[in-house]
Amino acid sequence: MRSLFICGLLGIALFLDKPREPTAALAQAPPNEPKLDLRLPVQPKSVRFAVIGDNGTGAKPQYEIGQKMDRYRQQFPFDFVVMLGDNIYGGNSPSDYKRKFEEPYKALLDAGVKFFASLGNHDNPNERFYKLFNMGGKRYYTFKEGNVAFFALDSNYMDPEQLTWLENQLSESKSDWKICYFHHPLYSDGKFHGSDVDLRARLEPMFVAHGVNVVLSGHDHMYERIVPQRGVYYFVLGSSGELRMGDLIASPRMAKGFDRDRTFALFEIAGDQLYFQVISRDGSTVDTGNIPRQTKQGVRLQSGPSLAAAAAVN
Amino acid sequence: MQSTRLRIRARQLSDMRAPIPFLAMVAALLTLSSALHAQDVANPHAQALMKFQDQVETYVALHKAAEAQLPALKTTNSPADITTHQHLLADKIRRQRGNAGQGTIFSRDVSQEFRRLAAVPLQGINGSRVHKSLKRAEPVVARLEANTPYPENLPLQSIPPTLLENLPKVPPEVDYRIVGHALILRDVAANLIVDYVPDAIP
Repeated sequence: MRSLFICGLLGIALFLDKPREPTAALAQAPPNEPKLDLRLPVQPKSVRFAVIGDNGTGAKPQYEIGQKMDRYRQQFPFDFVVMLGDNIYGGNSPSDYKRKFEEPYKALLDAGVKFFASLGNHDNPNERFYKLFNMGGKRYYTFKEGNVAFFALDSNYMDPEQLTWLENQLSESKSDWKICYFHHPLYSDGKFHGSDVDLRARLEPMFVAHGVNVVLSGHDHMYERIVPQRGVYYFVLGSSGELRMGDLIASPRMAKGFDRDRTFALFEIAGDQLYFQVISRDGSTVDTGNIPRQTKQGVRLQSGPSLAAAAAVN
Repeated sequence: MQSTRLRIRARQLSDMRAPIPFLAMVAALLTLSSALHAQDVANPHAQALMKFQDQVETYVALHKAAEAQLPALKTTNSPADITTHQHLLADKIRRQRGNAGQGTIFSRDVSQEFRRLAAVPLQGINGSRVHKSLKRAEPVVARLEANTPYPENLPLQSIPPTLLENLPKVPPEVDYRIVGHALILRDVAANLIVDYVPDAIP
């Protein structure tokens, strides 16, 4: 009887300790849906999250991206979504919140996925009080997941107080990975907006000095990965609802770009490796690769295939 | 004997000279201090900024009094609570301010000072950088009216940090925004145009 009890306990412990892998039932695609093309390792205990930007239109493509994210989550169980701003376009009535956020991501919200928003130029700053955006009533804030520290900034209003706050937070952070995200890109080959050079002059020296690994932004309605600048990786993803087709004018600093359809991204951080996959509305993989963790000086800790090698394949 | 007495007197005089530089320094400092004070009072830039700070303080006191009459806004699952709080606060403030129009805070001299302050970063060594950022921020244009809500569907154009740091610091209840060439002072929680400086941004 006692051995039966111990076996039962062991069984429960093994079940709880098991990494969150997809179950056969969950991963099963509807009959007419093509098989998902997941290129991420889904390692046990890794930090997994999705990224969306310029999403809050309330139009059909936003809903389609939401559905696609949910399907991928069944094979790639992510716990949270990072939002790069323009979370709710147009008005800020309760029906706007419903139509442009709660409904498109209903499946994810029902599954307990948390959203961490940053403010875009189309957002009413009072969105910071909306619990489902997890901003804690603040325009800018930080949170930690595993060995990764996230810094959500308000690039609409980068006043001296926010700059001082960021400097302090970055210098105090002991996390292995530091990811900053905000709406306006420091580097972008988008024709409509492009790089915010004054913001870059203020933020980039801080990113370099404090070993920020990755920076995520939106604003330009396309996807772009920039060749690392001073050791920092920059991604622009502003096409999870909006799209400005043909907006990219490739420059030598563009590592990869896509401006033909809406996109979202999946990120996975396991130890010293960051893996990413950018997926379009039809399920195509737009970009994928891995980034070995940089040290403060921008020297990469080489372990595994490099981003250059991975990017060359794609 | 006479010469000895004269020498002693000369030494006494010489000893007496010791505090003279100190006294001169004190006198000079007093003169400088009063000159600086007079200059401060007469300095139109400082005067305009002091006037602005006083006006902002008065406005923020009004804002706080209005907000104290409402249930405190905390993080909530209900977007209705957020928008209701914003609208009620805006209504209370608007009623309190009565017919406050353009120039209530940005009077003529204060506006002039803000135009000067906004022009500095746009003309300086980083001028082209600040201009580029303004252009790429998705500029917005609208007809402005003080003491009315900031248009619901109008994006909030970002302000280049270099420009922002050249403007006087304001309490968290209000922020600066740009619409066209105008610089707005906006009530953050009430989403209200408190006042604006026309043609502030060159």
